[in-house]
Amino acid sequence: MLLWIALGLYGLGILFTLPSVASRRPALPRSALIALCCGLALHGAWLGMAAARLQRLPVTDVHSAISFFAFDLTLAFLIIYLRYRLVWLGLFMLPFVFLLALAAALEAGPSFDSASFRGGWVAVHVASMFLGYTGFFITFAAALMYLIQERQLKSKHVRPLYQRLPPLEVCDRLYYRSLIFGNIFLALGLVTGFVWASRTWTGPWQYDPKILATLVTWLIYLVLFSARASGTWPGRRSAYGAIFGFAAVMVTFLGVTFLSGQHGFLPRP
Amino acid sequence: MNLVLVGISHRSAPVEVRERMSLHESRLSAALSDLVARDGIREALILSTCNRVDLAAAGEEGQEAEPTLRQFLAEYHRYDPTAHDRHLYWYRNADVVRHLFRVACSLDSMIVGEPQILGQFKQAYLAAREAGALSGVLRDISEQALAVGRRVRRETELGASAVSVSYAAVELARKIFGTLQGKTIFILGAGKMSELAARHLVSSGASSILVANRTFSRAEELAAAFGGTAVQFDDVLNHLQRADIVISSTGSPDFVVTRAAAEALLAGRKQRPMFFIDIAVPRDIDPAVNDLDNAFVYDIDDLEQVVKENLAERRREAARAEKIVEEEVERTLRRLASRELAPTIVALEQRMEGIRRAEIERYRGRLGELTPAQRESVEALTRGMLSKILHGPITEMKSRVGGPEHSALVSLVRRMFGVNE
Repeated sequence: MLLWIALGLYGLGILFTLPSVASRRPALPRSALIALCCGLALHGAWLGMAAARLQRLPVTDVHSAISFFAFDLTLAFLIIYLRYRLVWLGLFMLPFVFLLALAAALEAGPSFDSASFRGGWVAVHVASMFLGYTGFFITFAAALMYLIQERQLKSKHVRPLYQRLPPLEVCDRLYYRSLIFGNIFLALGLVTGFVWASRTWTGPWQYDPKILATLVTWLIYLVLFSARASGTWPGRRSAYGAIFGFAAVMVTFLGVTFLSGQHGFLPRP
Repeated sequence: MNLVLVGISHRSAPVEVRERMSLHESRLSAALSDLVARDGIREALILSTCNRVDLAAAGEEGQEAEPTLRQFLAEYHRYDPTAHDRHLYWYRNADVVRHLFRVACSLDSMIVGEPQILGQFKQAYLAAREAGALSGVLRDISEQALAVGRRVRRETELGASAVSVSYAAVELARKIFGTLQGKTIFILGAGKMSELAARHLVSSGASSILVANRTFSRAEELAAAFGGTAVQFDDVLNHLQRADIVISSTGSPDFVVTRAAAEALLAGRKQRPMFFIDIAVPRDIDPAVNDLDNAFVYDIDDLEQVVKENLAERRREAARAEKIVEEEVERTLRRLASRELAPTIVALEQRMEGIRRAEIERYRGRLGELTPAQRESVEALTRGMLSKILHGPITEMKSRVGGPEHSALVSLVRRMFGVNE
């Protein structure tokens, strides 16, 4: 119930945000901020109650994990909004958040739980993974905004979007910071995942498709990070890289899940 | 309602006339007190800026305010009837409301959308209030004008984009760098235009300035003016790498920065972007530099183009603002009308109600004992008739609000229905 109300508030927040997307003033209407903050608070309360019930971070079933991801994204958006006033980031992020929250709210069945999913390691693993994905999603959004803005500046014509998107250097800063954030948490998620897998899984867990795919994804982001840190890639190439990277995240996150035994998130017979 | 507005603006008068007729701030308060003390003037508002003088007054009902205003103009604004009459515009009632709203929205400004006028309007309003010159309808209208100005600012993009070349350059720089704080500007060729552009950039926060010019002394001069550093012209390419923004206006017949040179420059900058503003003709920066990653080259035509597109946008937004103004004028007039007519309408209704009751009383005996249903019918019948009779005159009075014959009509209706006290 709490989650449904939170979902409704997110929806309202998106609706209230829409008019300011068209305007060039970089400010969300108060109503949108209030709706989003209330939604976030209720969502947080829902997560808190789930955590109290399960006696741990509620990330170890699909239902709550997706919900946790949506919570992360909204929180990230609000923090970034307070810092950079990027209304347009909301346009990329909030609908995604809404869909995630909807998916979480719809999955009403008894949440999947198995003995192997208990324990602190797995909670830290999943939470870090999602924080990493949150970072990369923002990197992706920053890259998109960078590409659009760069093209407009090069074209020398004032198009409507020109006034509304953030300056190039702001996109770049957001890109770099979220990239670092994502890399740190993905690394943490991988390490905790290895520790947990080596303790509880049986058989050659190293060859699990999801683990391999995640390693590849992480490699992509390491390359992106080193390219950006050393300044060897022009902004545009970095931006394309981030879009490719996020596609890899999506493949890892959604696609490979169905191939993987251990990461199938389905109760095994 | 008896509103009169007289004024001159950039549309109606050359600057010699405007400056002659402008009223200095220090005399404003005294002038306002004086004006409202005059016979026939209830309220006044004076807006005097370098582009316009507007004098709005609410006169006593049925009195002509124009001669008083002329007299006042002659005393306070050095107005000379023979020389200045053709520069004055006069508005009455509804047109006063519309004019004040348009002024507050910057739709009547020399540069449509320039933002200062709303602040100036507010100053004028505050001054008039302090002088005790705003007490009724004109105060409402002035407050409404400020609200409409804020609404237009909020709901349209009027005045949001740069409409001069040098300001367009600053705006572009902001879209590349975000903040200009800590950015380095390189002035290549010390001309008037580049100086102006540099001044805009510096006032927007750019911190360090480098100047190069063929005559080194001129470079030193300009560098001193901005607190920057002068650089030898032959040494330009070595220093250019430090610059985030290059303003170029040399008289050189060839490109000063070729594509190859720019490539070398950018390679050493770790992908930090560079913005070239090329205002020289013939151009100093090879346009092919724009194809390089992280380099943005705008020549004078590009900047003019941006300004042109911004102006076009401004015109579109002005049309939207006009619509908002029309809507607000109508709403304000309706509100004023109903407020102004309220006592008359109440008096009419009371008068009719009095007649109705007296007549029912008179016929009570002849009607005999009525059932409750019958009594109700008689009530409904008489009430219905009267409200239908009043409907015509009331709508007529409402529709004529703000028009020239309105007060005559109202007093006629009052006399016809016998509500003249």
